[in-house]
Amino acid sequence: MVAALIAALQPEAIAATALGSVLGLFFGSIPGLTFSMALALMLPFTFGMPAVPAMALLLGIYVGGMTGGSVSAILLGIPGTPSAAATVLDGHPMARNGQAGVALGAAVIASAFGGLFSLAVMMMLLEQVSALAIRFGPAEIFALVLFGLSTICGLAERSMVRGLVAGVLGLMLMIVGLDELDGVARLTFGTVQLQQGVNLLVAMIGLFAVPHVIAMFLDHGRGEPRRVPHGVRARLPSLAQLRQRLWLMVRCAGIGTGIGAIPGTGGPIAAFLAYDHARRFSRRGERFGEGELSGVVAPETANNAVTGGAMIPLLALGIPGDPATAVILGGLLIHGLQPGPMLFSTHIETIYALYMAIVLAYAFVLAVQLWGIRVFVRVLEVPPHLLAVCIVVLCVLGSYAIRNSTFDVYLMGVMGLLGYLLLRLRIPIAPVVLGLVLGETLERQYRTALILSEGDHRIFVDSGPALFFYALTALTVGLHLLSVRHARRR
Amino acid sequence: MRLDRLDRWLGIGLAALALAWLGLAFAYIPGARGEGEPGPRAFPILLGVLLFVLGVMLAAAGFGSARRRAAPAQEIEPPTRREAAVAAGTFGLLMLYAFLLEKAGFVAATPVVILLAMRGLLGLRAWLLNLSMAGGVTAVCWLVFVVLLETPLPRGSWWWLL
Repeated sequence: MVAALIAALQPEAIAATALGSVLGLFFGSIPGLTFSMALALMLPFTFGMPAVPAMALLLGIYVGGMTGGSVSAILLGIPGTPSAAATVLDGHPMARNGQAGVALGAAVIASAFGGLFSLAVMMMLLEQVSALAIRFGPAEIFALVLFGLSTICGLAERSMVRGLVAGVLGLMLMIVGLDELDGVARLTFGTVQLQQGVNLLVAMIGLFAVPHVIAMFLDHGRGEPRRVPHGVRARLPSLAQLRQRLWLMVRCAGIGTGIGAIPGTGGPIAAFLAYDHARRFSRRGERFGEGELSGVVAPETANNAVTGGAMIPLLALGIPGDPATAVILGGLLIHGLQPGPMLFSTHIETIYALYMAIVLAYAFVLAVQLWGIRVFVRVLEVPPHLLAVCIVVLCVLGSYAIRNSTFDVYLMGVMGLLGYLLLRLRIPIAPVVLGLVLGETLERQYRTALILSEGDHRIFVDSGPALFFYALTALTVGLHLLSVRHARRR
Repeated sequence: MRLDRLDRWLGIGLAALALAWLGLAFAYIPGARGEGEPGPRAFPILLGVLLFVLGVMLAAAGFGSARRRAAPAQEIEPPTRREAAVAAGTFGLLMLYAFLLEKAGFVAATPVVILLAMRGLLGLRAWLLNLSMAGGVTAVCWLVFVVLLETPLPRGSWWWLL
């Protein structure tokens, strides 16, 4: 624990956490930019760093991004991230009523509370969950990854078939390159650069950032520039206000942590569930939507509590629940931190250092939001089209830095075009990334299991844990189909 | 464009892509070597079949909803000429950036690309802004990535021409 504390408090790690938190706040607060994009853009630049500062940078972006969405939600009425959509409902009316400072202060306190609550839960559960996973063989891991892929349902937005198409396209992209088990080149057509396959990060930068850049270029000249209120200062809510809402914050943090632990759900669902919960059980339910403080506290607690919850399947089982955690998984793997049971026996100091980095990140976010908010809201006035030009440069630098290869820059451009076309065809992008991330493990475990059983497919249904994961997969798909049918009837 | 029409064409396109994928997989990826081992071709074929089935499902849904006409068809906005030009322009810009990065290096390629984006894609005529963006972004990136983070950026291969 002491060694972990020392690692987390090295100047390099502190600087990385601070930089990550500010970058996350920046990307999270500007509508149109996402912190998943920030994570994908910054990951290549962590290659040369030691594991703790590198992961502290990424976790800082994750924490800052989740919190930053509330700034534009409250001040502009536009959520900076989808997770902050529920915060608009009462946060913006509060700003219109001249209470922007209290809303911002409450949002940041609630965010820190939710994040730290979920971190505590994560610390308690992680080792137990990963201890279970140590008994898993290839068939169980295959079933587990299949369950991870079933989260495509949650990421599929409007149409499940389109979501599945996206997932299959991601898996197909993963096929290209040298086959790990047989050493055979698959669909490389003699191209040496393709033998290493489609790099996950290159694909993520292209798929996430380029369609956003195109949208920002297109928005140039449309509509009026954003008007940000001047002289805004975050004000902490009074102790009495906080005490009145403490139990609500605990409940919403529980909702956020639980939702976050289910892959494929994420911040928006948690925030809206918490908002609805707060409205339903409040004595002032009729005031929700007109600028009620609990309407800011509840969603902000829940969406930040998702961060710790999402880390449980990520660190214990290697299952990312959303695009942001998929990038963090990429970061863990690059720095030699293979998620799963062995992580806690081989890298326990690093893991404890990362817990501390999350605590530090919340401290930085709190400080920036409380004392630097007046400078920070100026960021919202930067014209988006100029940011788009900077993002083009960052996309190219990021994809080049991964393997020092201009081929990757070309590939990133192609992935960007693919991402744009998919969005135009109403095919969601997140399942493509999920397919790319999980595909390799799915195929490797499937083939390894069959090699072990000498081709007998019964190996996949012979074990209890595997059947449990198949049942979870069926439940996830079934529940999604039911909710789609319910929504259509309404 | 109506959504059911998009579904139909998208479904047909995906099914065709799946067939092409299956053809490539059979032609270029070897099968299993030993008994009981699925081999490197099994998974690609499974994916091709899955994509084909999904394509057929999408096309069938498109044809089905066109036939039923129970509810008013959902309209989707086709891309405008400007949107197509901006998307193509952004893609072209990225390809040009990659080319220039390799040949002329980061310091020469970046300002050129920024100026092209500002003038060509955004139509900004304020030369002072354009030039300061080009110079400023290049300088800041150089300082942060090369000096601070020690990231090796390409120097280009055209310098021997000078």
